[in-house]
Amino acid sequence: MSEILSELATAVIEGNSDDAIDLTEDALDDGLEPQNILDNGLMPGMDHVGVEFRAGNMFVPEVLRSARAMQSAMDVLKPLLVEGGVEMAGKILLGTVKGDMHDIGKNLVGMMCEGAGFEVKDMGKNIAPEDFVTAVKEFNPDIVGMSALLTTTMRSMGHTIKALQEAGLRDQVKVMIGGAPVTQSFADKIGADGYASNAASAVDLAKQFAGV
Amino acid sequence: MKVKKTNYAVNATPKLQVFTEDEIEAIYFAALRVLYETGVRVYEQEGVDLAHSGGAIVEGIESDSSLVKIPPWMVEKALRTVPRKVVVAGPDRQYRMELYKNQMYFGAGSDTPFTIDPYTGERRRAVYQDVKNFARLAQALPNLDFHMSLGIVQDTAVGTYDRWQYLAMLEETTKPINITAVDLDGLNDQLEMAYIRLGGKDEWRKGPAFSLYIEPVSPLSHSEEVIQKLLFSVDHEIPFVYTPCPLAGATSPTTLAGTAVQALTESLFGIVLSQLRKPGAPLIIGGLMSNMDMRTAVYTYGSPEMALLSAGYTEITKWLGLPMYETAGCSDVKTYDEQAAMESAINIATAALVGGNMIHDVGYIEQGLTSSPEMMVAANETIDMVKRIMRGIPVTPETQALDVIDEIGPGGHYLEHDHTYYRFKEEIWRPQLIDRQNWEDWNASGAKRHGQRVRERVIEILEEEKEPILEEKMYKELRRICELADARHKDEELDMQLFV
Repeated sequence: MSEILSELATAVIEGNSDDAIDLTEDALDDGLEPQNILDNGLMPGMDHVGVEFRAGNMFVPEVLRSARAMQSAMDVLKPLLVEGGVEMAGKILLGTVKGDMHDIGKNLVGMMCEGAGFEVKDMGKNIAPEDFVTAVKEFNPDIVGMSALLTTTMRSMGHTIKALQEAGLRDQVKVMIGGAPVTQSFADKIGADGYASNAASAVDLAKQFAGV
Repeated sequence: MKVKKTNYAVNATPKLQVFTEDEIEAIYFAALRVLYETGVRVYEQEGVDLAHSGGAIVEGIESDSSLVKIPPWMVEKALRTVPRKVVVAGPDRQYRMELYKNQMYFGAGSDTPFTIDPYTGERRRAVYQDVKNFARLAQALPNLDFHMSLGIVQDTAVGTYDRWQYLAMLEETTKPINITAVDLDGLNDQLEMAYIRLGGKDEWRKGPAFSLYIEPVSPLSHSEEVIQKLLFSVDHEIPFVYTPCPLAGATSPTTLAGTAVQALTESLFGIVLSQLRKPGAPLIIGGLMSNMDMRTAVYTYGSPEMALLSAGYTEITKWLGLPMYETAGCSDVKTYDEQAAMESAINIATAALVGGNMIHDVGYIEQGLTSSPEMMVAANETIDMVKRIMRGIPVTPETQALDVIDEIGPGGHYLEHDHTYYRFKEEIWRPQLIDRQNWEDWNASGAKRHGQRVRERVIEILEEEKEPILEEKMYKELRRICELADARHKDEELDMQLFV
């Protein structure tokens, strides 16, 4: 690995967005391929962060800062990657369901997914089933993620899946759900494709759905 | 009477201090500034209009909400009319809480999706019978003064579970209840149930038989449902707990002082709105403040920060002269164990030593997601132990016992003395679940660990023969309200057996 890519990985690990952007631009100036920069600079950095987080050596605010650095570098690389015909990790549409104002967990999932290279559209909180349907039509995501903190609003996840079915959109997206009272068996019951119990698992699940 | 002492102070109850008065003032003035300069977002037009008519600045208008900024004078005005004492009684008036300054009451938390089965130890979704079981435990345990639904009833319709929970609690306890409500309709139904239980609306007027739990969403957001409940409560003379649950580092500043400022800002908005609606409307502010665990991203219930923040906030509420909703008796464990005993002992002792008025969440484990009968029964004894500490060491001629010391003299013993005989029961606390046997006796009695003794006590209480609290006719009348609610809300359900 070239020195600049190793420095880029370090910038991601340290969560230094300015360095990540500068080093990405320098690497491009040096003639490195965008895919090479992603695969051998940014990704090893984020992989290292994932390992350290799971080991309990890095913590949520540090991981988010790394994800932000990764995202900043990706903003530089993405147009070039797309130009070169490279397929992106995928698009995720996120929202906290109708009636629920508790969105901190969903926000965390969004930031972590961005750090993993996904394009994330976060609709916010208190999102009605029909608004999910409209957004799926407009944004054309690969994955729809929903969160709820209350057992009463958990029902809205089921209503949203039904609305997607009725709009004929259910088959074109994978649906993943999460939130403190949500369980795998609930996900099965309402016909979601997956459930994740924390933000890191949500990223793994999204990767699995996107085949990356 | 001969007077020989001068400027002699006694300390009747040991205490803990987190802030000085100067620090409390600094936090209060900081909260006034946030409320005025940053403002709070209000998602209910009636609440926005009420604040505006009272002098608030309304800006940042969006389709679903507005940013409301409250000038400091509005807060000071509201604080002049908000009651410094709030009373909530049980339905037959035998138990009551007088919530003010140095009064201390302990009780359960509410609405956990999961519970631990008392017989199998399995973690599963809570059902009607679980809520009944916990209310039965609360009724039997002398150190629990009020109750909340330790479990969301999930074997009935989802949208009406609040009425069923209230019914389950009324079946088993006569202690004051702090209810939750799914929505305004749920609150209205439960108020009707309370009127029936009390024997009429006029009885409620003489003293409310429940308080309502209302939770604004941090940071600085007051949802539609929250404002509706607040206004309904004020209009119907229901005392309510207005308790934000900020999560330091995630939904409030990671610095604990910043979290206290934000929580106070959120509470003060509730006070202002309630007093604008009706001066003298009773409320209790709180309550649950903790930190995000930055490894697991969970809301911690057993952390030292939770205990410390709650204690500090209690001092702020005392300074403001407002009843406080504190938090203790809870833990982050998945099943009752040594960690649960350790965390709950620390937070119970901290809450008691600083003196929160309505100390809730006894029985919570797993970050408030699961209720544990063992946690509740064990905490009852921890509270008892702490209450012994709270009785302090009175220093009088009788307790100093100079004459007895002189009488026994060097080398004697006190076991047979009248001074011991008449005073030891009062002076020396006796545990029920804590074991102090020597090894041989402990071994002969089955070599049971603490957890096992606690579990056996849970079952013992649940299986004690007991007269039903509700007469059949009243039970049916109350149940009818729940059934009618189910019928009204049937169309909202995906599936009547959604969870179990």
